[in-house]
Amino acid sequence: MSSLPLAINFEVLTDLDFWVAVATIAGIYAMFSLGLQINVGFTGIVNFGQAGFAALGAYAMAILVLEAGFSFWLAMPCAIVITILFGLLIGLPSLRLRADYFAIATIASAEAVRLFAQNADSLTGGNQGLRNFDDTWFEISESIESVLQSLGWSDPSSFAPLMIVVWVAVVLAMVGLTYITKSPWGRVLRAIREDEDAASALGKNALSYKLQSLSVAATLGAISGFFLALYFAFLNPQEFRPLITFLGYGVLILGGLASYYGIALGAIIIWTLLEGTRFIDLPLSEAQIAALRFIIVGVGLILLMAFRPQGMLGKKEEMVLGD
Amino acid sequence: MATEAGEPRPPAAAAAAPGRNGSQILEVEGVVQRFGGIRAVDGASFDVEQGTITALIGPNGAGKTTLFNVVTGFYKGNRGRVSFDGASIFRRSPHAIARLGMVRTFQITKSLAAMPVIDNMMLAAPDQPGERLVNVIFRPASSKRREREVREEAIELLDTFNLAKLADEYAGTLSGGQRKLLELARALMTRPRLLLLDEPMAGINPTLGRRLLDHMQRLRSEEGVTFLFIEHDMEVVMNHSDRVIVMAEGRVIADGAPAEVSSDQRVIDAYLGSGGGEEQRSADARDPTDAERPR
Repeated sequence: MSSLPLAINFEVLTDLDFWVAVATIAGIYAMFSLGLQINVGFTGIVNFGQAGFAALGAYAMAILVLEAGFSFWLAMPCAIVITILFGLLIGLPSLRLRADYFAIATIASAEAVRLFAQNADSLTGGNQGLRNFDDTWFEISESIESVLQSLGWSDPSSFAPLMIVVWVAVVLAMVGLTYITKSPWGRVLRAIREDEDAASALGKNALSYKLQSLSVAATLGAISGFFLALYFAFLNPQEFRPLITFLGYGVLILGGLASYYGIALGAIIIWTLLEGTRFIDLPLSEAQIAALRFIIVGVGLILLMAFRPQGMLGKKEEMVLGD
Repeated sequence: MATEAGEPRPPAAAAAAPGRNGSQILEVEGVVQRFGGIRAVDGASFDVEQGTITALIGPNGAGKTTLFNVVTGFYKGNRGRVSFDGASIFRRSPHAIARLGMVRTFQITKSLAAMPVIDNMMLAAPDQPGERLVNVIFRPASSKRREREVREEAIELLDTFNLAKLADEYAGTLSGGQRKLLELARALMTRPRLLLLDEPMAGINPTLGRRLLDHMQRLRSEEGVTFLFIEHDMEVVMNHSDRVIVMAEGRVIADGAPAEVSSDQRVIDAYLGSGGGEEQRSADARDPTDAERPR
């Protein structure tokens, strides 16, 4: 393709449609990781099951639309409620355990959701997946597109409407989360994060607050699941592998613990790295390049841990995990 | 549950209803806590009288801290009865017990290092509607109003402990002694009727220690707070408590005025080791903290 051994294909790098898609997926991961932030960064509970919440939210929404004939607008809040109830079901027994057992319980529950989706063919379509749950979104998307055209974007990218909706939702979520975390409620969460016994000794019901924190994460996870379903216009169990949660942790660690704005920054950086490195033109096979992308992100995270362990926007004083 | 916001609440003692047995605020009867085959607390019984400063002493391993943990709900005792102000609290959860007005501190301070001093204090305030998520979202004004009151109260309390100028520092930057004071001040923010202090004097310098004792005396006389504290320094115990409870091997072996207890043969035996021999090295009835000093 190129005569130079190392070059960047600038044509694709300046492709607006491509970057709109990257911005959309980054926004979806930001939403996903905001849930991890309130759990890990503010409550000190290590939730490894965020992908399960996203999967359950997305599937519940799609199934309610396709099978139960719910409208898109009714299906979403119902799916959120279902996801919260699932979170409470998982959290109620496992949040009493030590933090590491809770982590195991959550990753197992997320895998249970994914494997159920893979095997309950009649309900979820199994590996064939689900389609056509997004008719309402399609209409909305078209009207947003026509607004964009009237604003002078002659040929908007097909992902532009979703990108806009996702980032508006992320900003609203960040503002809302900042507000509730700064409240006395959030202060109790931070106390539990650091020392559950100290909080209990002051009359705070730690289990109840942890369950509330988990419910907030489940809500954000479900919403990110909706977005992911709309992004692919297709639901498939493979979209919710544990890797998704681990990438979410990458976002969290890069952005910094206990910072919601760090999440947005972390998601943008990780996805710019992951997708931007696609176009480094090296004399390597495609599979090798794909692996190289993750190596670059991995090395980046290691360097960050070495030189700025609190993450980009995290506070060193509030690093209390891992004691 | 909620008190009128803005109204100064009556001193803790005035609000306290008399317990069933008149003035016993805490009644502990036959409490047993086993860990595997070991009975760390083996049928301990005692009462704490309303408005007193009571010391709980005993050689290392006597079960004092374990007993504290059972009484405050951190351990679920195997057997026994514990009542606070006439109501059974045995095996209830720690937060529920704390809300009734019996609040503890810890032997190793649990100041929340990653939170500013002022947040440590405000966290402890009772009746904050903003600690419920629904109120944060739907009734933000009531939360903010209470928050202002609580902040004022916290600053005032910090001031009496000479910590006000550190209000915005992270608690992790405080010295060990300052953390002890912060933990006591924070416990007081809950408006307790009974405070259980686990070695409040350990690890703090004598000046701070004296100040802490003065605070206890003042709180007892002005606000009617009852104190039960574990202490190893016999001078403190003898001079600053109204009553002394002595534990050994999981049981209460003596209970009375400081002078009575210090001349009690069972107490002397417990500290010296009734069998004599080896145990004598590590214990001394006058000053059991000896064990912690370099020899």
